[in-house]
Amino acid sequence: MTAPAPQEKDTGTSAPRKEAGSTTGPKIGVFVCHCGSNIAGVVDCGKVREAAEKLPGVAVAKENKYTCSDLGQEEIIKAIKENGLERVVVASCSPRLHEPTFRKCIQHAGLNPYLLQMVNIREQCSWVHSHEKVKATEKACDLVRMGVSKAAELEPLEAREVPVEPSSLVIGGGVAGIQAALDLGNMGFKVYLVETQPSIGGKMAQLDKTFPTGDCAICILAPKMVELSRHPNITLLSYSEVEEVKGYIGSYDVKVRRKARFVHEDKCIGCGLCADVCPVKVDNEFDLGFGQRKAVYIPFPQAVPLKYTIDKEHCLHFKSGKCQLCVKACTNKAIDHTMQDEILNLKVGTIIVATGYETYVPMKKGVYKYWEYDDVITGLELERLLNASGPTGGHLIRPSDGRPPKRVAFIQCVGSRNKKLGNNYCSRVCCMYAIKNAQIIMEHEPETEIAVYYNDIRAFGKGFEELYHRIREDYAVEFIRGRPAKLSLDPVTKAIKIRAEETLLNKITEREFDLVVLSTGLVPSEGSKKIGKILGLTVSPDGFFMEAHPKLRPVDTAIDGIFLAGCAQSPKDIPDSVAQAKAAASSAAAPMFSKKVLIEPLTAFVDENLCIGCGLCIELCPYGAPELVQSEKGGMKAHVIEALCHGCGTCAASCPQKAVSPMQFTDEQIYSEMQAALMEPAKRQATKKKAEAEAS
Amino acid sequence: MKDPEKEVEKVFIGGLHEKLVEDKVIDEAQLEPGFADEIQKYGGKDVMTCLQCGNCTGVCPISLKIDYKTRNIIKCCQFGLKKYTLGTRWVCATCYRCYEHCPADLNPAEIMIALRHIAVREGIIPPFIKTAATNLVKYGQSVKPDVEIDKIRMELGLGLIHSQDPEYHTVIREIQVLVHAAKYDKLIGIEEDVKV
Repeated sequence: MTAPAPQEKDTGTSAPRKEAGSTTGPKIGVFVCHCGSNIAGVVDCGKVREAAEKLPGVAVAKENKYTCSDLGQEEIIKAIKENGLERVVVASCSPRLHEPTFRKCIQHAGLNPYLLQMVNIREQCSWVHSHEKVKATEKACDLVRMGVSKAAELEPLEAREVPVEPSSLVIGGGVAGIQAALDLGNMGFKVYLVETQPSIGGKMAQLDKTFPTGDCAICILAPKMVELSRHPNITLLSYSEVEEVKGYIGSYDVKVRRKARFVHEDKCIGCGLCADVCPVKVDNEFDLGFGQRKAVYIPFPQAVPLKYTIDKEHCLHFKSGKCQLCVKACTNKAIDHTMQDEILNLKVGTIIVATGYETYVPMKKGVYKYWEYDDVITGLELERLLNASGPTGGHLIRPSDGRPPKRVAFIQCVGSRNKKLGNNYCSRVCCMYAIKNAQIIMEHEPETEIAVYYNDIRAFGKGFEELYHRIREDYAVEFIRGRPAKLSLDPVTKAIKIRAEETLLNKITEREFDLVVLSTGLVPSEGSKKIGKILGLTVSPDGFFMEAHPKLRPVDTAIDGIFLAGCAQSPKDIPDSVAQAKAAASSAAAPMFSKKVLIEPLTAFVDENLCIGCGLCIELCPYGAPELVQSEKGGMKAHVIEALCHGCGTCAASCPQKAVSPMQFTDEQIYSEMQAALMEPAKRQATKKKAEAEAS
Repeated sequence: MKDPEKEVEKVFIGGLHEKLVEDKVIDEAQLEPGFADEIQKYGGKDVMTCLQCGNCTGVCPISLKIDYKTRNIIKCCQFGLKKYTLGTRWVCATCYRCYEHCPADLNPAEIMIALRHIAVREGIIPPFIKTAATNLVKYGQSVKPDVEIDKIRMELGLGLIHSQDPEYHTVIREIQVLVHAAKYDKLIGIEEDVKV
């Protein structure tokens, strides 16, 4: 069939897509994908293909069961070669999934990869309209018509190649950050690890033993921490914060604030003489308020780096200008109260975000009386009480009277799986840490009575179910299915009475315990929120960072060159965090090994003839890409630094002169899509007839 | 000797537990598909969101006195055991404590109200509810005016209660018109003395 000419528009100088003097538009091929039954189960793909065949400019329209398969791609290549196709429209899934696949495919056939137009008839059509098959087919036809119309306006673009700095920034020094840094360091890349706390180790360093095998957490973590600090390729920046990140994959400019620790790291040998003489005692955050530390301190004995830090808030010198006992005690003259924050500028090629989590803090006036009763503690606090290097030397005591508890209750799902709090997700570790801690308590004090109040027990990992069985069979820990409704305190015995429905028994139970442990869930950390803003990362509804694809790109972010590891992405246990850290390290290494990377050319460009130099785009751009430059034609004009532009389109939408447009989303392309969307089928027929009449 | 608590249970719970004990096996014939949707139609949230954690039962003030399990009723609703649930809901005081505590953000109290709507439409109305509803239509209040109470009121220097007040009769009349227009009288089955 011969396609009628699409409406010619005066597009000025920017029309290299059409050969001079030709009256017909580019030849377009349309490929409609069934996606098994994902699309074909709802949308009548045959009808969509038939409709596409009749569209102006379409030379070929085909259907495929799986267009992304080898066979499907082969068919596209064949069609391009046989029919001399100049533009390709693939009506299938979201471009986020397979746009790169089909770009490569048409490039293979000799076409510029940016002459591809994806039409999403799966996520935005068949999946959301699964109950309205007829309407869904109509919508698919509309979407394809829009895609074809835009495809005619597409222009070839060239991807830019940029060099990649062979160095990486790892943000966060928990187990995930440590592992990622070690892996990259071992591959030979320069790594900067930034940690806000005085020591690396993160939450894992606070834990007692790890489930399900019972390895001592610090015993398996400390060697890694030491290895990291001695690694020739790794620079450890503890007590530091990332302040600003600019740039793009391959060359990120990072500003790191090295907070003044008032102790020279190069001189301090960690002998602890300063802490011995320091007269100030405050609660140790690392022990969650159970233990104490001095104003000059290391958070825990195995700290890395083993360098003391002065807590400015509590140090007497900063309060009164006196004291200086530590200065006199230090034989190496490492202490310097005049130290200032330093700003460090780094240049890195890739970034790994491993900013971790925080545990949920129970509500002030909540049902579980965490703030009212001394003997209601959280799971992490119990870890410190059970830890051999913790404040009690590993002896479990009741905080109210210091005596060992005879009856212990665990309450599960505190702060997780709760729609009222907005934390709808499962924190994945609470079931197992409660079971593990129950086992440790039973090993210490076999006479203890333990009850676990749970909703569902999730023992899904390797060896988890076996531990769950063992705790019931060998230790006779009782599992009560029900969420406690009320806690009340006996003023004399200090016993806490828990009222709950045992839902499997269909009976309300009231039982007394000496110690109640709230298995609090994991929530995104404050640090994560800050880093997320600095890097411009997207977050999921649960507040954790969102990965580029939940299955196929689980460690990538939407921004090239930035990867995720550990609990910053979602709650996970130690093996999963380590696995993800290793994955992130290998993903980050790929562009650094190849030393160069291709960047999408979908950036904004400025038409100097239209620009009036108002500077609105400069104010609005979130990436600082546009700048005002002196034009050859006179006057200040905006100019987009391509390397910084992410192609978000904010500038184009706001430009009062319509001088800025993002590549592949130019006004002509969008308008042509809109015209196709608004064109009624009847009207389309009329235009077609008119065009035919004119041609004859 | 009658156990007063058992008597209260019988009146309020409508024999849910007897039914549960009687039916040794629950087969498909007892299930009512679409019951969850019906509850939503009458203003309840989707019962399928319930996690069966039992928090609602634990906080329920009624459960302190009688054998009444909010969670159990929600479970029956999830299952579609309509005939079990329709006799039970009048005991709920709609204090909304269950709503305050529910981690699934379900509102069990409003589900109880929805169950009342459904039950009344099915003609399952406990006698005391019918009496109260009839009183409302007849006297404009759910408690029947009592001559003895009036006597005490007079002794204490209080006036007549308003239903005895002749001027109040126009108000009762308005209530009756409204009730008739809304077919409330038909729904409850009030025939006597209501003439519009």
